[in-house]
Amino acid sequence: MPETVTDQAVLAELDRILAEVIGDDLLLDGPLTMTTSFDADLQLESIEFVALAEKLLETYGQQVDFVAWMAGMELDQIIALTVGDVVSFVVGSLAHA
Amino acid sequence: MPEVSANGLRFNTQVIRHGDGASDGGAPAAPRPPVVMLHGLVIDNLSSWYYTLAHPLGLVADVHLYDLRGHGRSEMPATGYTVAENVDDLVALLDHWGITEPVHLFGNSFGGVVALALAHRHPERVASLFLIEAHFAVEGWGEHMAGSLALAAFGLDEDAVQDWLAENADRKLSRVARRSERFLTETSLIDDLQAEQPIEWLAEIACPTFAMYGSESDILDRARELETKVPGCELEIVPGSSHSLLTEESNLVRERALAWIERVASPGSSGPPTVGP
Repeated sequence: MPETVTDQAVLAELDRILAEVIGDDLLLDGPLTMTTSFDADLQLESIEFVALAEKLLETYGQQVDFVAWMAGMELDQIIALTVGDVVSFVVGSLAHA
Repeated sequence: MPEVSANGLRFNTQVIRHGDGASDGGAPAAPRPPVVMLHGLVIDNLSSWYYTLAHPLGLVADVHLYDLRGHGRSEMPATGYTVAENVDDLVALLDHWGITEPVHLFGNSFGGVVALALAHRHPERVASLFLIEAHFAVEGWGEHMAGSLALAAFGLDEDAVQDWLAENADRKLSRVARRSERFLTETSLIDDLQAEQPIEWLAEIACPTFAMYGSESDILDRARELETKVPGCELEIVPGSSHSLLTEESNLVRERALAWIERVASPGSSGPPTVGP
């Protein structure tokens, strides 16, 4: 994985994965942004978030320590996650990889 | 990969273990205890573990999650929802994962029953039980499960379902409600559960067992039954909590779970631990 992975690249990857996980039922007016929340905006079921994370790890899993990241969060924090939180985590992990 | 064929069905699974990523610096990983987590009924799925205990435990153990048959993203067959058939699924998945050593089982509500039943049927495959609001059949179960009480029996009474739905926005509501309705009306789930016989073998459970219940739980009688009958069972009643203990008190349950796995999975540990949480 090149070290120059950008916010935009990870955002685009998330966009692609969301379409794959949710398909036509995706609930979003306008483009996916860093402030889009998985719960309030996308109304992702928790089991769908799990599937999304799994697919994200298929792309970046060797470079990011997702387990430790999730382990450090409480239930409320996970539910409140935004697209930007996930993008920043991935990009930050790759920058230090 | 998350999708697994076992016991003739397709299961949605997750294995969470630290060190799959870049953080461990390439050092050989020490052997970690195998853990399997079993969720509750109908509106529950592996995500309740994924959001609470799976990752913290995944730092010290190899954590295996799956959606029970009919739940989450697993296949929903028309029949086969007895505890015994759920145990068959669990055995098939243990074999699939190559888990031959005794496993540490975590069970929430109905998942606790499946965990207990595996520990009874295959004691050699279970190292310990961590039970949250385990909900098993007792005397009078059949009548209690009859008709509209079927859902109440699992904490899914009308109020609880309405509360839950109220907290969830439209899209999720419609999808989960549709799926739950199909589960309840088009499969043998209710009939199978209603036919369950009271468990009479709790005294035969031989592994270390820890049970947590909420003080306001509608099934607190199960807590006393476990404490009385399962040899060495440790019981903690959490003040003010309900049957939804796992999500209501996820931090407390997480602390207890980490302490538990450290005690029962540490080298040289054997028999029921004697130190309190």
